[in-house]
Amino acid sequence: MLEVKNFSIASKEDKSILLDKVSFGVEKGEIHCVLGTNGSGKTTVAYAVMGLERYDYVSGKVLFEGQDITKLKPHERAKKGITIAFQEPARFEGLLVSDFLRAGKKDATALEIKKSLEIVGLKPEDFMNRSLDDKLSGGERKRIELASVMIMKPKLMILDEPDASLDIIVYNELYDLMLRIKEELNCTILLITHREEAGLIANGATLISKGKVVATGPFRQVMRKYCEREGRRASCMAFKNKMRVGLANADSKN
Amino acid sequence: MVKLSKDFVKTAKICGIDHKLEQEGHFYVDKNKITSEQMPKGISAKTTETKNGIKAEITVEKGVKIKEALFFCFGISGKDDKQTIETRLVLEDDSEVEILAHCSFPNAVNASHKMEAKYEIGKNAKLVYKEHHYHGTSSGILVMPKLKVDVAEGGVFLSDFILSKGSVGQVGIEVEVVLGKNAKSEINSKVFGKGNKDIISIIDKVTLEGENSKSLVTMRAAAKDGGRVFMQGETYALGANSIGHIDCQEIVSGEGSVAKAVPIVEVSSDKARVTHEASVGKINQKELETLMTRGMDEEEATELIIEAMMR
Repeated sequence: MLEVKNFSIASKEDKSILLDKVSFGVEKGEIHCVLGTNGSGKTTVAYAVMGLERYDYVSGKVLFEGQDITKLKPHERAKKGITIAFQEPARFEGLLVSDFLRAGKKDATALEIKKSLEIVGLKPEDFMNRSLDDKLSGGERKRIELASVMIMKPKLMILDEPDASLDIIVYNELYDLMLRIKEELNCTILLITHREEAGLIANGATLISKGKVVATGPFRQVMRKYCEREGRRASCMAFKNKMRVGLANADSKN
Repeated sequence: MVKLSKDFVKTAKICGIDHKLEQEGHFYVDKNKITSEQMPKGISAKTTETKNGIKAEITVEKGVKIKEALFFCFGISGKDDKQTIETRLVLEDDSEVEILAHCSFPNAVNASHKMEAKYEIGKNAKLVYKEHHYHGTSSGILVMPKLKVDVAEGGVFLSDFILSKGSVGQVGIEVEVVLGKNAKSEINSKVFGKGNKDIISIIDKVTLEGENSKSLVTMRAAAKDGGRVFMQGETYALGANSIGHIDCQEIVSGEGSVAKAVPIVEVSSDKARVTHEASVGKINQKELETLMTRGMDEEEATELIIEAMMR
C-alpha cells in the first residue's frame, strides 16, 4: 500500500540531511510501527509520508497504492486516503469539536460525529459543542484528534506517538482502541512509537536511527534489533513478559 | 397583540431579525426615526428624534433585574444617510440588564453612523452589553462609536462587540471604562477586515481605579486581502490589589493586509498587577497543517480558522 523509496529530505534552515535514503513498505491492513529513540527521525518519517512542507525535498519517492505522491500537498494526500493524528494536537480558538470533525468529512451527520466521539470514549453531549481550545485536557484533545481522523475513514492512518505520556492502563486501552479502529475502518495504520508494547498489536516495523533505516520487516525481528542496538535490555525483558501476558490473555479470550 | 407598522417591519429586517414583538423591551431606529419603542416595567426611557438621529436616556430602576435581554436596533436603510445616536444608560444600584444591540447598514454606499454613549452602572449592578454590526457588502460606511462606562463599587460590565460579517468600511471604536472598588469588566472585541476598503481602529481603555477591581480586555482581529486593523488595549491600574489583563490576537492573510496591536499597561499601585499578551501575524502553522491533513486546501483552512476565531 505504501512504499517509501530511497527518500531523503533536508532541513530548511541549515540544509542538513534529516532522512537519508529511507526505504520501507507497509502492506494493506497491517499495523506497521516506526520505531526509534527520541530524535531518531520517527516523526519526520510520519510528516514526510503526510507531505507536510516543513522540509526541503532531496531525492527519492513516496508511492501510495502504486501512485507517486511525492509532489502532492497534504490536502491532496488526504483526499487520496492518507491522514495523520498528531502527537500534540492543535488548539483552535472558537472551533467547535463538531466543526473540527466536519473538517475531515464535510457531509458528516450528527450521528456520525456522535459515533466517532463514542468510539474514542468521549460522551458526545459533553464534547460536540465545546471549543477545541486549551480548556480541554491533553488526553481529551488526543481522543478528539483520533475521532477526527477516524471520521474520514482513511485508507492509511498515521498515528504519531498516540501512546506518549500515557500510563500503562491507558495505553493498553489505546492499543485495544487501535485494533477496533483498524477493524471497523478496514484501514492500515502507520504507528510512530518508541514503546515495545506496541508489539501487542503490530505486524511489521521499521527501525530508524539518525534518519536512516536500520531494519525493516516483521515486528519481532525489528524489535530484537532495537533492543540490541539501543541498550534497552531491561525494558525489552519487560516487553517479552508483557508479550507473554498479552498473548496469554488473547488466548484466554479466544 | 400590537400591530406592526410597515416602518417597524422594515427596520426589523434591516437588523436581520424576524421580529414579532415578543421581546418585551426593544427600541428600533431607522436613521432618525424611532419605529418602535417599548420598555418593560422597571425601565424608563426618554427618547427624542433629532435631525440626524436620536437621543435616548434609559434608566433601569434600583433593584430591578430584567430577565429577558432588551433588543436595540440602530439601522440605516438608505445609501447615503448620516446617523448620530446619543445615549445615556443608567443602571441604578443592584439592577441587572442585558442589552443586545444590532447596528445594521445593509445598503450603505456613502453613509455614516456615529454614537456617543455614556453608561453608568450603579453599586452591585450588572450590565451585559452585546453589540453586533452588519455593514452590508460595499464597504461604504463610516462607523464611529464612542462609549464611556463608569462602574460603581461591586458593579459588573460585560461587553461583546462583533463585526465579522459582510464588509466593514471605516470603523473607529473607542471604549473607555472606569472601575470602582470591587468592580469588574470584560470587554471582548472581534473584527474582520477583508479588502482594501476596510480600515478598522479599536481602542479599549480600562482604568482600575478602585481597590480589588478586575478587568479583562480580549481583542481578536483578522486582516485579509488588503484589510487594515489596528487594535489598542489599554489598562491603567491605580487601585490596590487591582488586576488586569489584555489579550490580543490578530491574523494577517493575503497581500496588502496590515494588522497592528498596541498594548498599553500602566500600574501606579505596588499592590496591583496587569499582564498582556499579543500575537500578530500569519495563521498558526500547526492549525493550518492539521486542517490540510483533513483534506482542506490552504484557503479553506484559513477561512475556517478565522471564522472560528471570530465567533
